[in-house]
Amino acid sequence: MSTQDKVQIKKLPTGVPGLDEIVGGGLPEFSFNIIAGAPGSGKTTLAHQFVFANASSERPALYFTVLGESAIKMLRYQQQYTFFDPSKLPDSIRFINLSQVVLEGDLSAVLDQITKEVEKANPAVVVVDSFRTMVRKPKSDMDLQSFIQRLALFLASWQATTFLIGEYAEEELRDNPIFTVADGLLWLRQTTERNSIVRKLQIVKLRGQDSVPGLHTFRITDAGVQAFSRTFGLTARKRNPPGARRLCFGIPELDKMLDGGVPEGDSILVAGSSGTGKSVLATQFIADGVSKGEPAIIAVFEERPEAYALRAANLGLDLETPQKDGKLIILYLRPLDLSVDETMQSILDAVQKIGAKRLVIDSLAGFEMALSPGFRADFRESLYRMIFALTGIGVTILSTVEVDESFTEFPFSTYSISFLCDDIIRMRYVSIDGQLRKVMVVIKMRGGNHAKDIREYEITSKGVVILGKRLTEYQALISGIPVHSDRPDRMEEPA
Amino acid sequence: MAASLKTRDLARCLLNYEAASATSTEPKESAALGVYEKLRQSLSAFAGEAAFESLAFRALTQAKSEAPSLWAVQVTEGGSLQNLGDVEPQSDTDQGLAAKFPAGDGGIILIARLLGLVHIFLGEALTMRLLRVTWPGAALDDCNSENGRKT
Repeated sequence: MSTQDKVQIKKLPTGVPGLDEIVGGGLPEFSFNIIAGAPGSGKTTLAHQFVFANASSERPALYFTVLGESAIKMLRYQQQYTFFDPSKLPDSIRFINLSQVVLEGDLSAVLDQITKEVEKANPAVVVVDSFRTMVRKPKSDMDLQSFIQRLALFLASWQATTFLIGEYAEEELRDNPIFTVADGLLWLRQTTERNSIVRKLQIVKLRGQDSVPGLHTFRITDAGVQAFSRTFGLTARKRNPPGARRLCFGIPELDKMLDGGVPEGDSILVAGSSGTGKSVLATQFIADGVSKGEPAIIAVFEERPEAYALRAANLGLDLETPQKDGKLIILYLRPLDLSVDETMQSILDAVQKIGAKRLVIDSLAGFEMALSPGFRADFRESLYRMIFALTGIGVTILSTVEVDESFTEFPFSTYSISFLCDDIIRMRYVSIDGQLRKVMVVIKMRGGNHAKDIREYEITSKGVVILGKRLTEYQALISGIPVHSDRPDRMEEPA
Repeated sequence: MAASLKTRDLARCLLNYEAASATSTEPKESAALGVYEKLRQSLSAFAGEAAFESLAFRALTQAKSEAPSLWAVQVTEGGSLQNLGDVEPQSDTDQGLAAKFPAGDGGIILIARLLGLVHIFLGEALTMRLLRVTWPGAALDDCNSENGRKT
């Protein structure tokens, strides 16, 4: 059978930002779905978003309410969301209460009532909320299974995309006849971790298409449910081949150490202890790009954008003009209770908004601290996903990370994330001749050669300035407590 | 607190429309009952009988404080109204109200109270859409007395 002969399943927009990407492009038309989860997890809101996105006066949505939340109160609350369009009621979206039928009759009576309403309205979407209150009534599992199958068959025949909403616990997932019949199963979870609420959704099952596996963070805002795909919506985008272009810092000696700059699309880690000039280096990297017309993003966590720009101005770097010109966005991210995926989505949105080529994350420690405690466990994994996604579309990322200064070790990061980075620049203090001086070294460059020199530098009114010559009269410089060699003092040309 | 002038105008509008649709010999209470029944069916369909019954009971309680002529009226199970047509007109205790809503206008007050509650819960946009669907031919936009009352 050729591809042309196969039935094409239309994918319906979910109306939930981010969810289409997670379910593989939209929910299959005429599918029979269950939205399950604990009370308050956002099931009804999600269903409403789907309904408002898909209902029309020609093919309306029937929203059956059963025992549970009163439809009046439900509408009272739901109309607070921005997606709620009162003009769609009642022509395109019709609410029908089945409480009396459920209380007085059995499941056959419920099915009869639904059948009657569906035949009358010819709906494109049918929602039963909450289905769980209805299925507590049957005398045996066989009754329930039969009811579900008949309902699913009937609604599919009427070409309706259906949602049953129910409060279910995790342990009810196994051996449940309802879940067997369903084409799609969306599970919403809500847990409390320390002082934070963590909401995640999972596509447990979705017939006929490739959904993104795993748990995805979601949030309920005044716009309704917003989901954050673990792939950040970038799976469908073609990865750019590694670029031959080199991106400079605008620090001639450092650029030379990097063999002309970092390869475009690399992830660079700048590691060093407090005060070594990581942020200054990052600012110079951004300023150099902006001066060459490359849009850029700076994500800051430890100081406000105004202060960041002012500090740059003191170094002679103008971050104000490119911000006004829409070439630079300084994102200030101190969102308590935000998930790492939401924070990263903010960065992604900014990157995509201005077509950024360079991104600075200053710093990873600040980023982690800005997250709610419950999400910190996922930090490294999420960071990996974001770096992979962004570098894949050609964005060059520079992250700063603070490391504890040790005189016995030479750590690159407390996060064990050096494997995420193509290039590592290490900055540190050294004690020389009774002074606390600074040195930097390029530890790694995946894309090519780099200088092995340990170079002394200073932070001046022009930013990071690498001092002229490589120090050769000291040994064990990276320990921070170098030993003066017995050789006579001499300076060598950089390698 | 009395039902707002706006909801009373709206209620009056609906009653007038309902009365005009019915035979002229029917008593005024029949129009009130007709409006109430249509609201009951419309609201019960999407909110359920129990929800409507609760709203109706509350509306009647409020209306009785304004219009003692409604003293014998009751909301039965399922939200239906009992004795509205049997009530003898009585003088309102509030003279100002009595002048504005003379005896026999208890029906208007009851409907106004019910509309007021629906408005509180659903907001103006949804309430008006609900009414327009229930009374497709009624010119509800012209009911505001501030724009000139239509009778």
